Amino acid sequence: MIKKKITNEEIGFWIVTIIVLIVVLGPLLWIYLTAFKSASDIFSGSLSKQILFTPTLENFKRLFTEYPFFASLFNTIIISVVSTILVMVISLPAAYSFARWDTGGGHLLFVTISTRMFPGVVAALPFFLLFRNIGLLDTHIGLILLHMYFNVSFATFLLYGFFKDVPVELEQAALIDGYGRIDILRRIVFPLVLPGIAITSAFCMIWSWNEFLFAFLFTRDIARPMTVLISSFWGSIEVQYGTMAAGVAIAILPILIVAWVMQRYIIRGLTFGAVKG
Amino acid sequence: MSRVDCKNIWKIYNGNVIGIKDLTFTCNDKEFLAILGPSGGGKSSTLRMLAGLEEISKGEVLFDGKKVNQLGPAKRNIALAFESYALYYRLSVYENIAFPLRAKGISNKDVDKRVKDIAEALNLASILKKRPAELAGGYQQRVSLARALIRKPNLTLLDEPLSHMDQRIRAEIRAHIRSIHEELGNTTIYVTHDQAEAISLCDRILILNYGELQQIGTVDDIYNNPVNKFVAFFVGEPGMNFIKCTVESPDNVSLQTSEGKKIFGFSGAVNPKYVGSEITMGIRPQQIGVVEHGGKKSIMSGLVKIVEFQGDNDILTVELDDINKIRIKVVIPAGGKRFKREETCWMDFQPEYIHLFDEAEKAIIERRS
Repeated sequence: MIKKKITNEEIGFWIVTIIVLIVVLGPLLWIYLTAFKSASDIFSGSLSKQILFTPTLENFKRLFTEYPFFASLFNTIIISVVSTILVMVISLPAAYSFARWDTGGGHLLFVTISTRMFPGVVAALPFFLLFRNIGLLDTHIGLILLHMYFNVSFATFLLYGFFKDVPVELEQAALIDGYGRIDILRRIVFPLVLPGIAITSAFCMIWSWNEFLFAFLFTRDIARPMTVLISSFWGSIEVQYGTMAAGVAIAILPILIVAWVMQRYIIRGLTFGAVKG
Repeated sequence: MSRVDCKNIWKIYNGNVIGIKDLTFTCNDKEFLAILGPSGGGKSSTLRMLAGLEEISKGEVLFDGKKVNQLGPAKRNIALAFESYALYYRLSVYENIAFPLRAKGISNKDVDKRVKDIAEALNLASILKKRPAELAGGYQQRVSLARALIRKPNLTLLDEPLSHMDQRIRAEIRAHIRSIHEELGNTTIYVTHDQAEAISLCDRILILNYGELQQIGTVDDIYNNPVNKFVAFFVGEPGMNFIKCTVESPDNVSLQTSEGKKIFGFSGAVNPKYVGSEITMGIRPQQIGVVEHGGKKSIMSGLVKIVEFQGDNDILTVELDDINKIRIKVVIPAGGKRFKREETCWMDFQPEYIHLFDEAEKAIIERRS
């Protein structure tokens, strides 16, 4: 048998790969291990206890019974799903218009995306005063509107690229063939940008799901999403690592699943194109 | 139907870039008209204005005498085959071809018959079930052509439909396009930058350059009576030779050679105002007769510099024995004399093949009919 020589490139490749894996998977591993540990194991100094311990569900039990976990999970779901749907309703036609007719000659598109260029907290104060005056603080609608404010610009920009990739000739050919604008969008354009729509909604959804700053500033009780609840385990007297890890373990699960499922689309989304030379 | 009239149409982009300048022409009912010109000459813009995909900045487009400026593409009942194919990649070849018929709500049975007929004519029958992405460029282009032709439109517009096919298939499909045109009895406007296609397919050719009409006429007209230097050079392969000369009298010109002044006659006459001025003489490489030796009035000598063997003919690059030592091309048909480099070549510039162009590059010979 021929012995395969391991080259320096291969060694380098694996070192980098392992570093990336540790950086990415380390925190995830810590969260899932901690979530199933008892308090004594979490604070145990011995290294062996960090990996080898008796799993327990007590953290989850406390989370579900002593805290309004399901209420805040429900808030997160409502806010992220509704805001994502509304964002797509606004961004799809906007992006199509920018891509096809160069609406606003490029300036309008730039202004739209520029709302994402300054730190979000800059917008917090004016929004806070506005929301206080019209009674939107600590409401689902309030948070949905805020998430739309941030995601519409991002989604429009992303979708703009996908629409731009659809060759205008395809639409013109269909126009000549006697199809109407709506039919063309439905039968020609949307099927082609479907991967783009999927990725964009996934990104919006993930952003909204993870959003903390505005949720922290604009909610107290009724509309409080999971991110804020989880942060509250970090109290001034003690840090409840176990409960926090249990909350995070559940909170990130849907995102991990979405990212996994979307992988295929993300790759397709980057490579599709209908006109070839 | 239908006759197409373009009356003084202009296409102005962004308020100041002129795409098409004051274009007027007529394409008669059942005519096959080619729009020929270099890239960026305005061919596709013209076609797109006829199709209704682009707004007409000024002027009128009439189909059968009716103004269609304000009608959308669907209302004009035209077919257009795109250079980029514009196929629907999610649909099979069959569905792509059937797509225009589906919009009209034609029964499945009729759709099937028509798709199969056109597929037969364009050699697509074996690939109807495939998807466009699985096909090579030439096939995709044929599918696009089939989709355009299946509709029995009033006017068929073809935008460089053969540009991505290989040479052999091109010749074959060319013949099909012509026969489909005749079968359907419709009017076809064909955009191309390939003069061989235009010459072999069309009844008349319209030549555009920089968005301006240069000449419109039959192949014979354009080849033998080009109205300006651009047309003279653009049509014909290799293009026409141009040599500086002086007008001696309304019916002859002279060239300075090492043996002194040589006088050349031409058929027709020029306006006497040109006498004494320096102008350009044009003569096609294919129309220069190569003779055994000099002596006759219209014979020029030159040294062969480059010999290109083309199979069916040879193309010589000859340094002319005039004071400018200009290089011209001469086509030697198959069976003619074989030249070597640095050999002397005697060329007969026959009067009927001489063209003259003034400073503004306009043809100036008034031919006697």
